[in-house]
This record gives sequence, C-alpha cells and structure tokens, in this order.
Amino acid sequence: MSNRFIKFWKSYSIVIVVLVVAVIISFMAPRFFQFENLMNVLSNASVVAIVGLGMTLAIASGNFDLSVGSTAAFASCVSFSLVPALGIPLSILAGLITGAVVGLINGAIITELRVPAFIATLGMQTIVRGLALIYTGGKDLYLYGQTEYKVLSGNALGIPMPLIMALVIAIVLSLVVSQTRFGRHVLALGSNFPAAKRSGVQTTWVVWGVFAIVGVTAALSGMVVSAQVLTANGRLSTGLELSAIAVVVLGGTPLSGGRLTMLGTLMGALLIAIINNGLNLLNIPIFYQELTVGSLMLIALAINLSQGFKVSSLIRRPQ
Amino acid sequence: MNIENSPARKQISRDWDVLWERYGITVVLVIAWILAYFLVPKFNLPDNMLNVLRQSAFVGVAAVGMTVAIISGTFDLSIGSTLGFCAWTAVVVGAATGSVPLAMLASAVVGIVVGFINGMLITRIKIPAFITTLGMYFIVRAIHFILTDGAAARYSAKDFVWWGNGSVLGIPVPFIIFVIMAILIALVLNRTEFGRYVYSIGTNIQAAKVAGVPVQSTIVWIFIVSSLFASFSAFLIGSRIYSAGPGLEPDFALNVIATVVLGGTRLAGGRGSMLGTVAAAILFAGMGNVLNLLHTDSFVQRVAIGLVLLLALSIEGVRQRLFEISSRKTSKEVKLDKGSASNVS
Repeated sequence: MSNRFIKFWKSYSIVIVVLVVAVIISFMAPRFFQFENLMNVLSNASVVAIVGLGMTLAIASGNFDLSVGSTAAFASCVSFSLVPALGIPLSILAGLITGAVVGLINGAIITELRVPAFIATLGMQTIVRGLALIYTGGKDLYLYGQTEYKVLSGNALGIPMPLIMALVIAIVLSLVVSQTRFGRHVLALGSNFPAAKRSGVQTTWVVWGVFAIVGVTAALSGMVVSAQVLTANGRLSTGLELSAIAVVVLGGTPLSGGRLTMLGTLMGALLIAIINNGLNLLNIPIFYQELTVGSLMLIALAINLSQGFKVSSLIRRPQ
Repeated sequence: MNIENSPARKQISRDWDVLWERYGITVVLVIAWILAYFLVPKFNLPDNMLNVLRQSAFVGVAAVGMTVAIISGTFDLSIGSTLGFCAWTAVVVGAATGSVPLAMLASAVVGIVVGFINGMLITRIKIPAFITTLGMYFIVRAIHFILTDGAAARYSAKDFVWWGNGSVLGIPVPFIIFVIMAILIALVLNRTEFGRYVYSIGTNIQAAKVAGVPVQSTIVWIFIVSSLFASFSAFLIGSRIYSAGPGLEPDFALNVIATVVLGGTRLAGGRGSMLGTVAAAILFAGMGNVLNLLHTDSFVQRVAIGLVLLLALSIEGVRQRLFEISSRKTSKEVKLDKGSASNVS
C-alpha cells in the first residue's frame, strides 16, 4: 500500500504541486481563474513545453541540445521570409524543415565528427544564431495583415492552438517512446550507450532522429512565438535552451538518461507559467520570475529523493 | 608482423592524440598569429597586438578557474550571472568607499559565497552539478536584477580603471594577471595534493573515493575556485568599462567553457592543460580582432567562431575514425594473408 503510494507520488507529485500552486495563486489574485487569463497561461506554458518535449527526448537519450533557441529564431525567420513566395502552409512547413535540418546537422556533428553533444550544440548555437542574424540582416520581419499565420498561435474551438500542439506532441512522443523500436532505442542509448551499441542498436540513426525531432519542436516553438506578434527576428528565443532544460528537469526526467516523463515536462512548463502569471497579476517585478525558476529547480531536485543520485552522478554530466 | 595493426601503431596514434590535446591549440595559435601578422593589415601594429592580449584576459581569467572544474569532470554554468553580480559589487563598493582593494575584496567575497553555495548544494543536498549551477544561474541573476532594479552602476576613479586599462612596461595589466593566475593554478594542479585530488576525481570519482580522496570537500573547493576566478574576470571587466550594467555578457559561461575545451581540456574530465586554455583564450580574442580588422559583419563573426570551435574539436574524433577505418582494413588484409599462407603450406 505504502509502496503504491510512493509510486503514485513519484509519478504525479508534480501534478499535485501544480494544482496547489494554482489554488494558492487564485486566492492571492482572483483574476487568475478568469477564462482568458487561464488560456493565456496555457498558451505561454505550451510555447516552452513544445520545445521541452523534444528536449525531454534528447535528455533521455543522454544528450543535450543547447542550440534550440537559435534554431527557433532561424526557423521562424526562414518561415516568415518565405510567406510571400510560398503561402502560409508551405512556409510553416519550410520552418519545420529548417529545424529538422539543423537537428540533423547537430546529429551528424555528434556521430560523424565525434564531438560531444554539449560542445556540438554549443557551437551550433553560435553558428545558427549568426546565420539567423545574417539572413535577416539583423532586422525584424513583419507579416502585415497576414493574420492567417496566427493559425499557430490562435484558438481552435476556443482552445489555444499552442496547447493543442503541445498535447499532440506529448501524446505522439509518449507513444513513440513506449510503442516503437526507435523509442526503445532512444532509452537504451540513454541508459547505457556502449551496451546499446554492442547489442546492435543503430546508434547513429537514433541520435540523428532525436536531434531532428528536437530541431522540429524548437522550430515550432519559435514560429508560435513569432506568430503571436506576427514579427520574427534573429534575436528571438535567446536563452530558450536553458528554460527548456529547466522545464524538463522540473518535470522529473533525470539528467542521467534512460528514463523520461512527457507528462512531467508538460507540468513543469505549466508550473513555471502559472507562477510567472501569478507574479504578473500581483505586480511583482519580472526579475522575480527567474528567481522562482532557479529556486524551483533546486527545490524540486532537493526533495525528489526518488532519483537516488549516486556521488558519481553528482558532478558527471551525461556525455 | 603487421605494424599497422600492432600495439606499437596504436601507441603512436595515442601519443599523437595526447600531443594534439596538449599542444595542438598552441601550435595553431602561433601559426595563426604569424599568418595574421603578415596577411592582415594593421594586425601587426604593437598597439593592436597588445590589445588582443588584453581582450584575451577577460574571458581567460575565468577560464583558468573553469579549467579546474572541467578537469574534475564537471562545469559551472552559474558563472555568467556571478560575473555580472561581482562586477556590479566591485563597481558599487569601489564607488562607495573609494578603495580599490575593498572593491576587489567585495567582489571576491561574492564569488566565494556563490561558489560555496554551489558546492554545498551539490555535495550536501546532492543535486547534480549541472542543475545546481543552472539553478544558481537564474537565482544569482535574479538577485542582481532585484538589487539594482536593472540599473547600471558607474565608477571611474583612475586607480580602479587602471586594472582593466593600464599597462606595466607596455604589457596590459589584465594580461599580466591572466598569465600569473594561469601559472599559479597550473602549479597548484601539478604540484599540490589538491591538484592530484582534482585529477583523480575527474578520472574516476569512485576510485578516488575508495582511495581516500576527500571528494566532498574537494568538490566544494573546485566550485569556489571557478566562482572566484569568475569574480576576478568580473573585476577586470568592470574596471575596463568603468561600469557594470545588468545582463553583462549573458553567454559568458558558455564562452568560457568553449575556451577551456578548445584548449584541449576534455569535457569527460581527468585531463587538461592550462597552456591550452591560455592559448585558446588568445586565439578567440585574436579571431575577433582579425575579423574586426577585416571589417567583417558581427553576425559573420559569430558563425566563424562557432565553426572554429567545432573544427578544432572534431579533429580528434575524425582522427580516431580514420584510425579505426585503417585498422579495420589492415585486419582484413591480415586475415587474407593468413588464408593464403595456409593454402601454400
């Protein structure tokens, strides 16, 4: 019985925390529970959640992607610039393809040139950011009156599109991980790379696949943000990689790889969005938002004894 | 005997890897410097070359501390915020007291406190270093913004500004400090017990523990060192630009890590070279300078710097691959040889 309770707590503690925080904030700021505000919170959470879901997969495979912020910026710039030529559906597709290509290049650098993922994606962060700025000449790209682009950030049946996309991606990725060979291989890679390689996992393809997926989610997240204001530029989404990693960690996916929880990532993103929104409603300066993100990460890991870190994993990063 | 596939050949290849790791970037720096000297207009003006050395120190001093952390198999993502906070502390304390030593001391204390908190969170509360330092990155930055309300501080007294802008016998002060720090830490790493602990933790933390290395206290010290050196960098930068605004160098931690890794210190831990860190810091500063002299767009500079980083770090992996391919080929040939030999007999 108590075992079942502990298991339940491990899996759903973040959901309970989210609910408790939401209740507390709604007492302090009654406006919180207004429908419009709630939808706003869900949209904001979804923007980070979308890329967080891709990052969850990368972390479960024992890798990081530090280039997601730059990828988001580059993809949305490419997409915006192609709207006049290709029309909106195709230009959104072009943005997603841009993300996938950046992801594949990341994968190729890691597997073919054998650069550790941390450094490979760090280098690509600089390069892709530079490309985005060169591509736009450092200027803003506007879509005057092209409100159809808002399909990415608007509502469908009263529900924010970003939320729908985040949920769909979470479900699809969860199914991929639990039902497909690719998914099992991703986890195998994360829990023991040499063993996975020796037992015949096509590690190269798996790594490429993971980074392509991260690239696509990053691109989508960037385009959603751009669609909200119908403006894209090369400086978009700076620091997105750290927020995305924070959300994944808050959700309970261990950095040591081999395990993941997509629900946790969604909840992690929601928790941060709720707290940020609460701070806004209470007129607390924006600086406090970073304080809460940082403290939350540390508290979440400090009380999460279930992870049972060994000394060796304390200062080791996944390679 | 087939020498291609023999242990001797493997040994040679490993020796080359070690040599490349240790001295590769220094050789690259020397060659690049000579090329720039003759090919890039105005690079060879003494003032310009001294300026490159000065610029290299601002990232370099922090990279000296980070080298210790990376050799031990970890890194410190919080130093970007520590840098901003320490620079602000130095400037504010300097302006308030008019005393440069006090400014230096205050900024060092902030650095030590942040490093100590990092170390305690990692060793006592057992939060992985990556997450601890990432969390502290957000927290320290937030505290800095809350304290300053986003406003910049200024302090331009002559004896303060000298540390970032002055020269002794023509050599820029920050560069002198950078070199002294690098030599000092290189000695600590190679000659002291602490240095041996750092290497042994980076090589195999379990074995180090079994062998009686005080792992926990060493880790705390490692994080104090990396933070403290970030505070030295912060002092120099604050002095260089007379001021400390919020959001100073947001990508600082990643730049510093890139510098250390480019210098040949392995992210996997256990191996590293201070000479490489110094050379890599100068190389990055020199590249920025050359690209400026060639009137390159700052956007293009980003791309170039990223490419150089990836290029330098892929050499080892590519060499490994080539070696594997060649040894696979020769092992096939050996099998064929054996087959033909048995046929003859």
